[in-house]
Parts: sequence; structure tokens; C-alpha cells
Amino acid sequence: MSESGRNNSVEAVIAIALNTFRETVRDRIIYALILFAAIVTVLGIILGSLSVGQDIRILKDIGLAAISLIGGIIAVFAGTNLVYKELERRTIYIIFTKPVSGWQFVLGKYIGLCLCVLVMVAAMGAFLSIIVAAVGSGFAGASFFDQLREITQELSLIYLELLFVTALATFFSTFSTPVMSVLFTLAIWLAGHLGESLLELGKLSQNPFLAQCLSLVFYSLPDFAGLTRIRGHLLYGTVPGTEVLTYLITYVLAYVLMLLVLAAIVTERKEFT
Amino acid sequence: MSDVVIQTTNLSKELTSSLLRRKVRILSGLDLSVTRGETFGLIGPNGAGKTTSIKLMLGLMRPTEGKAQILGMPAGDKRALAKLGYLPENPYFYSHLTGREFLDFAGQLFGIESKQRRERAGELIKTVGLSEAADMQMRKYSKGMLQRLGIAQSLINNPELVFWDEPMSGLDPIGRRDVRQILLSLKEKGTTIFFNSHLLPDVNEVCDRVGVMFKGRMVVQEKVKNISGEGNYKDLEDFFLEVIAKAEADNGAAAATGTQSKEAVS
Ligand SMILES: Nc1ncnc2c1ncn2[C@@H]1O[C@H](COP(=O)(O)OP(=O)(O)OP(=O)(O)O)[C@@H](O)[C@H]1O
Ligand SMILES: [Mg+2]
Repeated sequence: MSESGRNNSVEAVIAIALNTFRETVRDRIIYALILFAAIVTVLGIILGSLSVGQDIRILKDIGLAAISLIGGIIAVFAGTNLVYKELERRTIYIIFTKPVSGWQFVLGKYIGLCLCVLVMVAAMGAFLSIIVAAVGSGFAGASFFDQLREITQELSLIYLELLFVTALATFFSTFSTPVMSVLFTLAIWLAGHLGESLLELGKLSQNPFLAQCLSLVFYSLPDFAGLTRIRGHLLYGTVPGTEVLTYLITYVLAYVLMLLVLAAIVTERKEFT
Repeated sequence: MSDVVIQTTNLSKELTSSLLRRKVRILSGLDLSVTRGETFGLIGPNGAGKTTSIKLMLGLMRPTEGKAQILGMPAGDKRALAKLGYLPENPYFYSHLTGREFLDFAGQLFGIESKQRRERAGELIKTVGLSEAADMQMRKYSKGMLQRLGIAQSLINNPELVFWDEPMSGLDPIGRRDVRQILLSLKEKGTTIFFNSHLLPDVNEVCDRVGVMFKGRMVVQEKVKNISGEGNYKDLEDFFLEVIAKAEADNGAAAATGTQSKEAVS
């Protein structure tokens, strides 16, 4: 009698992912952000033309920084609103009165948002590459394809970081309000960027307890300062060793997995009063 | 064949109000059983606990005491959810989706194949009278249009059992007639229907049995034919008003002797 005897595990995740993707890309605010990134990049060109000979590097540097910032903003703001909005509008009632589990919901939301961030980062990256090609054509040096390869490598590392930020935002959004989630997410993201300076800060403070705390923070967060260093080397043509890369990627993905599992547990236990 | 599709025993729910940390009992000892093919109408004043009862039966809320069994499985069990449909109170969906996209989404959550999904969505759009608005984004929908879409999504999986929380609210007279017709045709197919409504003539027309709730308690359950047809009452409204008046009097007497909890008085 019922048509729903089939196993829906994968389908439900895909449905939720696509719905989230659609919702996010149909939001106009994103396009304002991207316009902002474009403006920053163009500003970079103007700045770059002031210091002849260096333009391409400065241009790329500014452009990539803008992309990582805008990508981060999208991840943080869309991510922290993800679950909250569904609760607020009670659309979550529709989902959890159908045969859908907490993990399917969380995973779908996460994948949908990552997909959106990917498309945005890729679009901004394409724009940056075109500008680099247009401005760089008058200069000797690395060929366009080298430039493109470099930009792609850089963007992949940026995206890796955004995968983490998105997971963080998703996790917080399962149990806290958007404002608090934004604060938590930004705090942790920033702490990750402080990297080893956290340890130095601990030494400087001469307070053993504080030093312990800071080193705990350092060792329990992904080392984004390290990631940024690698990106800096890339900009100067040094490709990082596979070992370092494998370590970073595994570390970040394991972290993402842990955050999603926690988010799924929280969601599964939720009560909708 | 009279297997029990909805069964609750001593189903109760307390909430802790965050301000005073005081416990508020919003449902007390609900005992109910609805058999396959039956249409059960839940009526009662605002705040009586109708929506709460439905949410407990669906597993959206967890009981403080007692339990609910749906299709022989505990409330919220995925296997039972696969076979039922739910229309929430004041439905509001994704404003960025069109009605058709939303129905497709709902179908996907059940794991229905895409061809079947499309066919079913097309049929339901016609049934609920949304043909013209189906490809419009939901943020442009009126209240009644959202209500119609809510009904459509609750039927996407061809359910054995539906829970409808105020299906007629916000509908124009034509919409009300349409929903009555949908109810009757579901009934003919043997679907079990559990719904609540404030529109007593509609309840009277489609239900086999009604239950009256008052302040978190089920005060009476009665077959409709014993009320207005062969019964002593002019119509369901007459019955309802008398039951509530009696419940209020009992409640007042109980409060006077101090056996009732505080929150029931206020
Ligand atoms: N989230 C909540 N927090 C606090 N109290 C709640 C909550 N949800 C419901 N209640 C209380 O529980 C009682 C029952 O509410 P419920 O929504 O079940 O009523 P109802 O019978 O559906 O009413 P209506 O006809 O107005 O829809 C009410 O007194 C309401 O104030
Ligand atoms: Mg209600």
C-alpha cells in the first residue's frame, strides 16, 4: 500500500543537501559579498600597478585573501543559520516526521553548504584567474598555466580550511542561537590562526596555568597558521611535501567528521516543543 | 479487521517553564485507541493540548510519562513514520522553493523514485487546487495556499495514517469543501485519519468518533452517531458546549477543594 518501502538513506541526504544548496544560492546577500570580493581584487590591481614588477604576486595575494575571507563569511553566516532557520520556521517538523535521522539531516545540510561554498570559491577563483591573465600578459615570467595551477593549489588549501569552518558553524547551529554560533565559530577559527603564537603567548605570560590552557587550545585545534604558511610558500613557487599535505588533510577531515557526529547526536536528541 | 493503529496509554507531558522553573503539565494521562480506517476528530478550546497530543504521537516531543504506539511501533519510529502523513499547525515551508519543488523534496525524504514522485506531485497539486500556483515560489503564497500545499505534502507517500492539525484553518469555503472531499475520499480508501479542528460542522460530517479535550485532559470520547443523529443533542456544537461547561464546573469545584494543581486554574 505504501510506496516508501525503499531504503532512503542516501536519497534523503541528497535531497537535504540540494535543498540547502538551492536555499543558499537563491539568497541575494551572497552576490553582494561576491561583488565586494571583485571590488577588492580590482583595488588590488590598482595597488599592484603602483609597485611595478610585483603586481602579479600582490594581485594574487590580495585576491586570494579576499576569496578566503568571503568564503569564510559565507560559511560562517550561512552555517550558523542552517539549523536555526529550520527550527524557527518549523520546517524541521516536516523533516523529522518523515523517516529521516539526525545524521542524515546534519550531513545533508553540511554537504549542501560545502557545495555552495565550493561554487562560490570556484567562481571567484575563475574571476581572479581572468584578471591575472589579463594583467599578467604584458609581463615575462610564469606562464598563464603555471599561474592557474598555483591559484588552484592555493584555492584547494583555502577550501580545506573552509570545510572546517563550515563544520564548526554547522555544529554550533544545532544547539545555539545564530549570534552565539557566529561568536563561537569566529573565536575558534581565529584561535586556529594564531597557531604557535598561542604557545609563545603562554611562555610570555609566565603563568603556568594559562600556558597550559593555551597549549591545550593549540594542540586541540587545526593549525591554520601552518596552513597559511604553506600557502605563502606556494605563492613563491615552493610546493609543500606530500607528507605535510596528507597530514593536514587527514587532520582537518577527521576533525570535520567528529564535529558532524557530535552535531548528529545533538540533533537526534532534540525535542521540538 | 479492527487492528489498533494509534494507541496511547497514560500519555503525559510536563514542560519546565524557564522563568520560574515551575513544571507545567500540558497533557495528563491520555488514553486513546484508534482503529484502522477510523476517522477521529479531536476538539477542544485553544490551549487544550490537541497539538501537543499529535506531536507526542509523532515523536516530535517525548512524553514525561506513559507512551504512544503508532502502527504497533513506538512513537517516532522510522518504520512507522514512513507510512504516515502529517500536516503541522500553521504550516510554513521553504520560501525559496516552488510548491512543486517542495512536494518533490518531501517525496525524496521518503525515498520515492523520481518518476513516481513527479506523477504523485502532479496529481496532488490538482487535488488540492494549486494548479496555477504550483510553479510559484512559496514566499508568494497566501495562508490558504500554504495550507493546501501542507495537505498535499502529507499525502505524497500515500500514507496509511494521517495526522492533520487544523486542516481547514485559513481556507476559503471552496477550500474547506475541497478538504472535506479529500477527507472523505481518504476514508473511502481505508486511510486512518486523526485530526483536530475548531470547525465543528466539518468534524461532524466526516468523523466516526470525536474526543473533547479540556486543559490537557481528554474529557469525553464519543461516536458521532450517538451525538447528533440518534443522540440527545441538536448538533456537535451543542454537545461540545455542554461538555466544556461541565468540565469547567468540575474544574472549578476541584479547585475550590484544592485538589487541582495551580496551573489548571489560572
Ligand atoms: N513550547 C511551549 N512552551 C510552553 N508552553 C507550551 C508550549 N507548547 C505548548 N504549550 C502550552 O501547552 C498547552 C497546550 O498547547 P497546544 O498547542 O497543544 O494547544 P491546542 O489544543 O493545540 O490549542 P489551539 O487550538 O490553540 O491550537 C497550552 O497551554 C500552551 O500554552
Ligand atoms: Mg493547536
